[in-house]
Amino acid sequence: MSQVLIPALVLAGLGFVLGFLIFLVGKYFYVEEDNRIEGIVELLPKYNCGACGYPGCKEMAIGLLAKESKPAMCKPMKKEDAEVLQKHLDALFAPKTEA
Amino acid sequence: MSSLISLAFAAFIVQNIILTQFLGICPFLGVSRKRSAAVGMGIAVVFVIVLSSSITWLLYHYVLAELHIEYLRTIVFILVIASLVQMVEIFLKKISPALYKALGIYLPLITTNCAVLGVAIININNGYNFLEMLVYSTFISLGFLFVMVIFSMMREKLDFAPVPKAFKGTPIALIVAAILALIFTRFGGIV
Repeated sequence: MSQVLIPALVLAGLGFVLGFLIFLVGKYFYVEEDNRIEGIVELLPKYNCGACGYPGCKEMAIGLLAKESKPAMCKPMKKEDAEVLQKHLDALFAPKTEA
Repeated sequence: MSSLISLAFAAFIVQNIILTQFLGICPFLGVSRKRSAAVGMGIAVVFVIVLSSSITWLLYHYVLAELHIEYLRTIVFILVIASLVQMVEIFLKKISPALYKALGIYLPLITTNCAVLGVAIININNGYNFLEMLVYSTFISLGFLFVMVIFSMMREKLDFAPVPKAFKGTPIALIVAAILALIFTRFGGIV
């Protein structure tokens, strides 16, 4: 019994300690991010292939927000998806109407 | 003392992690296009290797060996390395957003960089004591940084070199890496 229990407890304990440490570090070094980035990343293929010239899809999304890049730069994305992304971007950049 | 110096030299040049042990090839080719990114990657790897080898060494000798569950070593080491990389990522994001952006997807990939796990396991297999382990992992990761820097400088020059069209980009980089590896194997037998 203890042959199973001890390794399991050691692993679980270690996982708990490390997870808690990550939680603390994440809380202490929290960086606020533009919450629009995540929405754009969701519409990208998330292959992180680098064909657009950015190191990953997240960086491409930041570029899209800064109007440095265009959805067409993403090589593996289908045309329909690119149109959806463009619409999403247009909605983001559109001047806010008073509601 | 002299044995520590020879261990440091062996780790740095003779048993160079990239060019003679062929560990950590992914960032070696992936992040060596620009020198600044290569230096950043190298420093991140030095930090992760030294810290993770120390923690894994302590864990192995004071937890796993005491409880006679040495067979858990691989999974425990992977757990430690993965969490460390996660923490390094959070640190970098806060401290140096530019470097974080330049490293991109390669930063989380340190987790699966076999150099990190490799060094942790070599330390145990060779039966190093704590001081030897510290010297070995420091110098082997500095060797990683050193090779990353010289290779990125070569690649920056290669961009302007009159290379035949078929070899432009990655092919010529692979040829250069092979020649570098050939040179480094000649150091074998010094220590």
